[in-house]
Amino acid sequence: MSAVEAKHLSKVFGTRKAVDDVSFELPEGSFLSIFGPNGAGKTTLLRVLSTLARPTSGEALVAGVDVREEPDEAREHIGFISHQSMLYPDLTAEENLLLYARLYGVEDPEARVTELLDAVGLAHRKLDLVRTFSRGMTQRVSIARALVHDPDVVFLDEPYSGLDPHAVEIFDELIESVRGDRTFVMVSHDLAKGFAMCTHALVLARGRIVAFAPKAELDYDEFAGLYRDTVGMGVA
Amino acid sequence: MARVSVTKPSTFQQYKTLLGKDLRQEFRTREMLTSMGIYAFLVIIVYGAALALTARNLDIMRMGGGLLWVLIVFTSLLGLARSFAHEKEQGCMEGILMVPLDRSVVFLAKTTANFLFMLVVEVIAVPLFYFFFMSAEQVAPSFVWIVVPLLVGTLGMAGIGTMLSTITMNTRAKDVMLAVLFIPFIYPLLYACVTATTTAIMGTEFWIDFFVMPLVLACGYDVVMLLVCWVLYDFVVSA
Repeated sequence: MSAVEAKHLSKVFGTRKAVDDVSFELPEGSFLSIFGPNGAGKTTLLRVLSTLARPTSGEALVAGVDVREEPDEAREHIGFISHQSMLYPDLTAEENLLLYARLYGVEDPEARVTELLDAVGLAHRKLDLVRTFSRGMTQRVSIARALVHDPDVVFLDEPYSGLDPHAVEIFDELIESVRGDRTFVMVSHDLAKGFAMCTHALVLARGRIVAFAPKAELDYDEFAGLYRDTVGMGVA
Repeated sequence: MARVSVTKPSTFQQYKTLLGKDLRQEFRTREMLTSMGIYAFLVIIVYGAALALTARNLDIMRMGGGLLWVLIVFTSLLGLARSFAHEKEQGCMEGILMVPLDRSVVFLAKTTANFLFMLVVEVIAVPLFYFFFMSAEQVAPSFVWIVVPLLVGTLGMAGIGTMLSTITMNTRAKDVMLAVLFIPFIYPLLYACVTATTTAIMGTEFWIDFFVMPLVLACGYDVVMLLVCWVLYDFVVSA
């Protein structure tokens, strides 16, 4: 079974096609990096796949579940990390994670939260308000939040935004440590980093797929050239 | 990490969790309560200045209900405009919408929280209003019954305000938009509650006509509007 599958997926805002007839299939355990210029439709595609936006037409399956027909069931399989932490600044790290754990119905939420805070190296700050955290620390709690219900597929929307190089390093190590057999789909502007992490790469421009292939079939230099040409196409 | 066992919680458990989150945040920051409380106090001071020279010629008993509801409506508006500030910050609303839950639970929890915060402010503002403007007057024994229109009106305003606050959350000039939408929607409720409150303050032989009937209509309006908001909330947050 594919972890993520898009079939002729489109999303239209007014007269503008943000995502235009996108189709691809991603095997379980893979890591897809999505590249493209600003306005190419990357974030919209991610929002449609993660049930935050309804597709105008086409079909999207996450962990075999149709995101349009059964969004609640699909959400059980989805974790989402974006440049926004989705954490309440006036709650502590522990309270934030317990909130999400209880909403998802995680059994023994306290134990799960302790395990995750240990994993992201913030157990000693669990009683501090998220408002007092640095951007890097907040993003680490955000990883814990996205994994609290143990999702099969994790979407990352420009997760490096606003992180300093050291925080990026820690973030990458954390993602690697929690990767396991999960599937990751990441939108990134950082070609070198995105390419290094992925098993599959996708280039989007003006809402359409320009290239999609397993990394094994791609040469980095050729891919970088294609990406530069695509960015040259400008805003969709 | 070992696989985690997940059992979908009941709607009531999710409601309790979301309500607890709102209450914990507010009692920690006191953002809404402080701003609403100060605003209510300032409105009372402005009333004092505005009515200082004319009070002897005014029938404050007849005006009291209306003045009190002006205070409540504008104070509530201030609080409602802030009620989704935490949800918008850092994309928290999207985090909640990613959870497999009935989105009307989000509406019910937020409405309950807003209702409680508005009640807390009223518990302080109404006695102050009485102390400054009515303590020297001969209020009717039925005065205590103003609690009923206050509860019914506040519940309706919390529900309608929560819905409209969600709609205007991402608009430009959201405070103005909220006010422009809020006042027309609560007008029937407001009219009924002002009538019932004035009747309770003055006391009258036409108790059924001017207290019970307006309250029945207000309760009906509450039920209809809360049901409409509850049903439409999923559509509103999805759009």
